[in-house]
Amino acid sequence: MEENIKALLEQFRAIAGDPRKAMADHLAETGKGAIGMMPIYAPEELVHATGYLPVGLWGGSRPVTKARTYLPPFACSVMQQVMELECEGAYDDLAAVVFSVPCDTLKCMSQKWKGTSPVLVFTHPQNRGLEAANRFLEREYAILKEKLEGITGVKITNAALERSIQIYNENRAAMREFSALAAQYPQVISAVDRHAVFKARLFMEKSRHTALVRALMEAVRAEEPQPWTGKKVVVTGILLEPNGLLELFDRLGLAIVADDLAQESRQIRVDVPDGDEAPLYRLARVWQNMYGCSVATDTKKQRGPMLMDMARKTGADAVVVAMMKFCDPEEWDYPIYYKQFEAQGVRSLMIEVDQESTSFEQLHTRLQSLVETL
Amino acid sequence: MYTMGIDVGSASSKAVILRDGKEVVAGLAVQAGTGSSGPGRVLEEIAATSGLDLKDMAFILATGYGRTALPMADKQMSEITCHAKGVFFQDPSVRTIIDIGGQDVKAIALDDRGGIRQFYMNDKCAAGTGRFLEVMARVLEVPLEEMAEYHFRSKNPAQVSSTCTVFAESEVISLLSRGTAKEDIIAGVHFSVAAKACALAQRVGVRREVVLCGGAAKNGGVADAIEKELGAPLVVAQNPQLTGALGAALLAYEEMMRKERSA
Ligand code: SF4
Repeated sequence: MEENIKALLEQFRAIAGDPRKAMADHLAETGKGAIGMMPIYAPEELVHATGYLPVGLWGGSRPVTKARTYLPPFACSVMQQVMELECEGAYDDLAAVVFSVPCDTLKCMSQKWKGTSPVLVFTHPQNRGLEAANRFLEREYAILKEKLEGITGVKITNAALERSIQIYNENRAAMREFSALAAQYPQVISAVDRHAVFKARLFMEKSRHTALVRALMEAVRAEEPQPWTGKKVVVTGILLEPNGLLELFDRLGLAIVADDLAQESRQIRVDVPDGDEAPLYRLARVWQNMYGCSVATDTKKQRGPMLMDMARKTGADAVVVAMMKFCDPEEWDYPIYYKQFEAQGVRSLMIEVDQESTSFEQLHTRLQSLVETL
Repeated sequence: MYTMGIDVGSASSKAVILRDGKEVVAGLAVQAGTGSSGPGRVLEEIAATSGLDLKDMAFILATGYGRTALPMADKQMSEITCHAKGVFFQDPSVRTIIDIGGQDVKAIALDDRGGIRQFYMNDKCAAGTGRFLEVMARVLEVPLEEMAEYHFRSKNPAQVSSTCTVFAESEVISLLSRGTAKEDIIAGVHFSVAAKACALAQRVGVRREVVLCGGAAKNGGVADAIEKELGAPLVVAQNPQLTGALGAALLAYEEMMRKERSA
C-alpha cells in the first residue's frame, strides 16, 4: 500500500484512539475547550458555531466496576461505559455535555450525571410527522443555544451557524463518499481503518476532518481497485467496537461495504436542508427527515427495506446485526426487520456488541460460520 | 483415502477418521478439551484404535472452540458448519439441529440440501450448556451418566431458572435443603436446559426433523425435556458427541476432492 495512505490512516487511528489529545490540541490552538456530545443525535453545528470542540461520548472499553453502583446490569453496554468514565472524572474537563434523550436509558442517564460539567438536556419530539414537531424542536434548540452561549460566553450568530451548517453538510457528504469508496477498496481500507475514519470524526473539528478524509480519498483513488475474494456485508446497529471485533472482520475477509451504525453512517445520513428558513428551524428539520433508526419513530418500519436496499446496491452477501447489549430500541426493531429479511431471503447474522469485551472467540465462531455458509 | 476431523471443544476432544468420505473407520471422544491433554490424547487413542496415524491422513480439518490451536490441522472451520455437515450426512431429513456442547448451545436451520439457512448461539452465559449440567450434577452428587435415570423417575419436576448458572445453582441448593426429591430437581434442571435450547430453536424456526447433538444429547433426560418443550418429536443423533468431528472429516474429504479437481 502506498506510504501516504498508510500515514493518513495512521493519523485517523491516532485521533480515534486519543480524544484527550484532540481536545488538548484544540485548546492550545484556539484557547477554547470542548463540549461533550452524548449519543445519538444533537445539533452539533450549534456547538461548532461557538468555536468549542464537540466531542462524541460513545463509551470506551473499560472494565465496568464503578458504574455498577448507579446502573442496573441490564443497562446498555455503551451507557455502562459512559457511566464508568463519568465516575472516573473523565468528562470533568468538558465545558458542558449536550444530552439528547431519545431512549429510556438516555433519559435516566441525563438525570443522574455523575460528572461535574453542566448537562444540557433537550428533547426530540416523538411524533415526527407534524409541523408542530419542527416548531417544538426549533424551540428546544433555541433554549440549548442560549445555554451554550451562557456557558461559552460566545454569541452564536446566524452567520456563524450558517457557516457551521455548511461545514457539517460538507463533512457528511465527504463521509458518504468515503463509505462508498471504502466499499470499493476493502484491501486498502480495512474494517478497523474504516471505523477509525468514522470515529476520528467524533473528535475532530469537522472542516479539518473533511480535509483529511478528502486527502485520504484522493490517495486511495490513485490505486487500482482490486477484485475482492472475500465476502461483503452491511452492518447495522448502534456501533461496532472494540477493534478486536473489527479485526475479526478483517481476518475473515468480511468487507464492510456499507453501514447503518448510529455512531457512523446514521450521523451523516441526513443533511441540514437549504432554504430561507431560520437556521435553527432547518436544524430541527433534520430530525423529521431522519429515517431507518431505532430511536426515530417510524410507523412504517422502513429500516428492513432500507437495509435490504443497501445490501442490493452494494452487492453485500449478508447483513450483520451488531446488537448493542441491552439496547431496547435496537432489540425491538430486530424481529421486525429480521422477518422482512427472511421473507426476501436476505442472509443475516446477529452478534452481540459489548464494548467491555476482551475475548472474541464466540464472535469468531459466529462470523466464521457466516462466511463459510455464504 | 483417509481424512480426519478433529473437534476440540471446551470440555472434550473428539476425532473421526473417514475412508473415502463415506465410511467411518474410527471415532472417539476424550473428556478433556482445549488447553488440556485432551487433543493429544484423542489423537493417540484414535491412532491406536484405527491402526492409522496422522501421516496416513490426506487432510485434517479442525473445528470447535480449540480449532485454531491445532498445528497438525490443514484447515479449520467453525463447529456450526461442521455439525450441520455431520448431522445432515447421518440424516438428510434433518432441518433443525440443536447442539448442546460444553459451553455453547446452538440452533441451526438447514435447507433441503443441508445448507445453513440461519443459526443462533447462546451468549456468554453457561446456562443451558453442558457445563451447566456438570455444575448441577456436582451439587446434586449424582454422576452425569445417571441423570437420565433420575429424570424418568420424576413425577413433579421442580422449577429451575434458565437464565443464569449461578442463580440456578443456588435455586438447586435451596430445593435440596427444602427436601425436594433429587429426581424432581434433576428433571427441573433438564427442563431448564430445554427451555434455553428451545428458545434458540424457535428463533431459527423449528422444522422437522429436529435432531439433537453434542455431548448433552447423551443424556436421555435432556432429550425428553426438549421433546416435551418443543412439542415435536426429537431425533437424537447417532454418536451425538461426534457429529462435529464427523462433519469436519467430511469437509476434509471435500477439500481433497476440490484439490484433485483443480490439480
Ligand atoms: S439507544 Fe440503545 S445503546 Fe443508545 S443509549 Fe439507548 S439503550 Fe443505550
